[in-house]
Amino acid sequence: MKVPLGWLREFVDVKASPRELADALTLSGLAVDGILEVGGETVLDLDVTTNRVDAMNVYGVAREVAVLYGLPLKPPETTVSEAGKPAKEALSVEILAPELCPRFCARVLDVRIGPSPVWIRERLELVGVRPISNVVDLTNYVLFELGQPSHAFDLARVKGGRLSVRWGREREALKTLDGADRVLNPRVGVVAGLEGALGLAGIMGGAASEVSDGTTEIALEAAHWNALAVRRAAKSFGMHTEASHRFERGSDPELPPLALARLAHLLEKIGAGTCRPGLVDVGAAPARRKVRLRGARIDAVLGAAVPPQKVRGILEGLGFSPEGDSYSVPGFRGDVAREEDLIEEVARHFGLDKIPSSLPPTRQTGTTSPLLRAEQDLRALLVGFGLSEVVTLSFVSEGDGRLAGESPVVLENPLSEEQAALRNSIVLPGLLSVLRTNLRQGRRDLGIFEVGRVYQAKGEGPWPTEVRRLGVLLTGALPSHWSQKGRPFDLFDLKGFLEAIPMRLEVRSFESSSAALPSFLQPGRGALLVRGGATLGYLGALQPEMAGRFEARGDVLVAEISIEGLFEGRPPAVRVEPLPRFPIVQRDISAIVPLTLPSLRVVEAALRGAGPLARDARITSRFDGPPAVPAGHVSLTVTLRLEHRERTLTNDEVQAAVQSAVQSLKGLGAEIRGE
Amino acid sequence: VDREELHRTIEALREDFSRALALVRDEAGLQALRDRMLGRKSGAVSGLLRSLGQMAEGIRKEAGQELNALKASMDGSLEGALGEILGRLRAERLGREAVDLTLPGRLPPVGRRHPISAVREELEAIFLSMGYEIYEGTEVEDDFHCFEALNMPPDHPARDMQDTFYLKGRPGLLLRTHTSSQQIRYLLSNPHPPEVRIVCPGKVFRRDNDITHSPMFQQVEMLVVGEGITLGDLKGTIEAFLHRLFGPSYPVRFRPSYFPYTEPSVEADLGCIVCGGKGCRVCKGTGWLEIMGSGMVNPAVFEAVNSRLGKTVYDPEVVTGFAFGLGFDRVAMVRHGIDDIRLLYENDLRFLEQFRG
Repeated sequence: MKVPLGWLREFVDVKASPRELADALTLSGLAVDGILEVGGETVLDLDVTTNRVDAMNVYGVAREVAVLYGLPLKPPETTVSEAGKPAKEALSVEILAPELCPRFCARVLDVRIGPSPVWIRERLELVGVRPISNVVDLTNYVLFELGQPSHAFDLARVKGGRLSVRWGREREALKTLDGADRVLNPRVGVVAGLEGALGLAGIMGGAASEVSDGTTEIALEAAHWNALAVRRAAKSFGMHTEASHRFERGSDPELPPLALARLAHLLEKIGAGTCRPGLVDVGAAPARRKVRLRGARIDAVLGAAVPPQKVRGILEGLGFSPEGDSYSVPGFRGDVAREEDLIEEVARHFGLDKIPSSLPPTRQTGTTSPLLRAEQDLRALLVGFGLSEVVTLSFVSEGDGRLAGESPVVLENPLSEEQAALRNSIVLPGLLSVLRTNLRQGRRDLGIFEVGRVYQAKGEGPWPTEVRRLGVLLTGALPSHWSQKGRPFDLFDLKGFLEAIPMRLEVRSFESSSAALPSFLQPGRGALLVRGGATLGYLGALQPEMAGRFEARGDVLVAEISIEGLFEGRPPAVRVEPLPRFPIVQRDISAIVPLTLPSLRVVEAALRGAGPLARDARITSRFDGPPAVPAGHVSLTVTLRLEHRERTLTNDEVQAAVQSAVQSLKGLGAEIRGE
Repeated sequence: VDREELHRTIEALREDFSRALALVRDEAGLQALRDRMLGRKSGAVSGLLRSLGQMAEGIRKEAGQELNALKASMDGSLEGALGEILGRLRAERLGREAVDLTLPGRLPPVGRRHPISAVREELEAIFLSMGYEIYEGTEVEDDFHCFEALNMPPDHPARDMQDTFYLKGRPGLLLRTHTSSQQIRYLLSNPHPPEVRIVCPGKVFRRDNDITHSPMFQQVEMLVVGEGITLGDLKGTIEAFLHRLFGPSYPVRFRPSYFPYTEPSVEADLGCIVCGGKGCRVCKGTGWLEIMGSGMVNPAVFEAVNSRLGKTVYDPEVVTGFAFGLGFDRVAMVRHGIDDIRLLYENDLRFLEQFRG
């Protein structure tokens, strides 16, 4: 909303500098976005909030300025010397749909169409409107000055001088002023003549009754339209005009007569015509709303005592009239409906800066949810491991939404096909898209993760289920150094990151299982992560075809885990074990076993065989290849640690335990090296 | 052997030793010289000392003294030379171990939090310390929580199809356009009504995509409800929070605004942290950054919640409240000079790796 200061000063004699004025308006609720200098005139550029339709015109801003500076507000000049036959002889108006139009006012004018004088054209250009001809320009002038949209009909083109207000008819046709052919329906309000619709109510006039150079007699319409009706109709046609913008937000039912008088006055003033006697006024403005205002309530809401005289001064200046313990609300303040609305009016003119700052008392301590804490801890842990966190959009294409094997939740009105559904996986396609983005930048090595929600189509009733997931992706190699090239990432890097989680966080341990891998993982190169009977997630190498879709060539290693699942049930508090008091004996056993035998079985067999003296056992070396190891086999070294809690072990005890472990391994079909 | 001959011999040995010692470069050379002069079997000085017994009585004693003196001086010189040689060798060896520490170190893998997480965790820490409960609701919402209960009846401009994402085949369900929907969720399920003191961080979604709008972005909502809560409390809380987040040197100002679910509504501006208030591109020359919307809870919100609960839990005549919403992508953007919000969600590592965190 542009406000030329010269225009503003017609109504309020404000002396403040443009900068001061802009600050004062901003701090009282009319945000001034800029101060423009255009051809010697200063123009304030206001960003008026949608509720303040009263301030979307010069006079409304002047009213605010008058209250801010304690200055009188001058009413607009509206004197008219009427001439000719009464207006009602040339024009009759009938409201057939009062719910659409509570009040319709009109005047009849004899006009000489021509260009407007320079001062009007200049002002219109300052507020961003292209001048056309005197009558059209004056309707725009009054729109920007007083906020009342109006429309001029060429009365010669309104058959019988009869206008009616009604809902559109099914498939009724109307060419609007913008040249578009509109097909109407009963949900669209119109101003109609005997031969059909002449204009879209509150939005735009029609071409058939448009004022042209030859027009000599006009009917000027200024109405009060139902906001919702205008809004729905404008939306259905995808139209947005200066008129609809104001009507949608609620126009002033008291304004039409004043606006028409102003128009007639200006028409006379510029010598463009005269006004016939009488105002055609159909319908009525509703009674003014009364809103109670209690001094104690002002204090309670604001936390500051505003003197009663101050309250009354502000509200009266803004057009409210005191009536007992209430104020009656002027027609241009349809946004004020309850006590708090009045308190806001008081607060913004009293000055928010005059309200002392305080802190609310509290009876609670800060708390957060365990899952939020869990997500934060996970992020910190993985960042510590050297992985970088990413945050991807929750939107995916429908096709990508099916990559993880389930149907995604789909949007009714997506921005694009690429963002038509909600993700049901972090890895697919989120982390893979990040991979592609970075591959395209020439980046080969990547270790990334994301913590966030995914959406599952099934849930309670129509509701999808939101679940929290951790996704990890590794590809390429660890960082290189001048001393050595970085080692390529492999699945055991990924597995190690996951295995470290229960060592650092309040997470119960979990196992890997090779059963039924997701189809996007390479067979034999992935595992499910399970605890008890529950599957928490998976890790593995992506199928090369899937990696290829995202332009990746080498190994892409991925994992995705349910955060709710991961953190389900707290592990017991740590109880320290006494430190060993007697030496622990360590013995290596090297076994050649078939490649198909999981190493976990080998470790378990060694432990079982070694019996109660075994403290632990782990794989400390692994190699294959002839001649040392026959094809299809692998050599595993199991390091067995033995201890006795009460004394030092004897050689014989150690020998016996190792022998027994060896026997147990042989039972698995292992060949023991060095035997 | 007469005295003269003895002296000549000793002098010759002394000179021979000195010359040889000057040429010795290493321990082996030193040992060879020691063997040649003082070696038990073949050493020249040792040989002379051994032959003392065959010398004439008259010079034997004198010869003994002089030869022993010669031996002692040679021992001393050899010892000194050895020290020098060892010192030199040690210095050479250490010199060879010198490294060029202008070469870069071997970095452990360095990961980084996403800047959005960094800001979010900072916000959460501040509010925890101020005694707030951090509350998370759902990202998928229904009309009631997202609009209706927030005094946005059907056909309100904020509900336009172009603003809100709706779910297909799930009538009435949508992606929350603001975290304000969490106010309603909490008010309805409040474990200790009517008191509320919460913050709700999370993702929000709007149908918008350009340099300053991402269809997904981040907000944090806060809500305080209780008896005697005032606009002054709103001001003090926002000031305290912004001073914790940005530092106490930036001024905070409040100006009236409009949100359907607050009344009075207040916008909080922060003195521009880029230019310090002088006016720059980021603050569009005003010296102020629009940082958050806030206001006193509109009694219509309490009424909608009461109506859903079927009883007056939040009596607008008894309890008041305030709320604010802050888009915290913008905090990261202003702080780090990010001028395109989409960079935050593209995850180009050349961008992400510029952050500490």
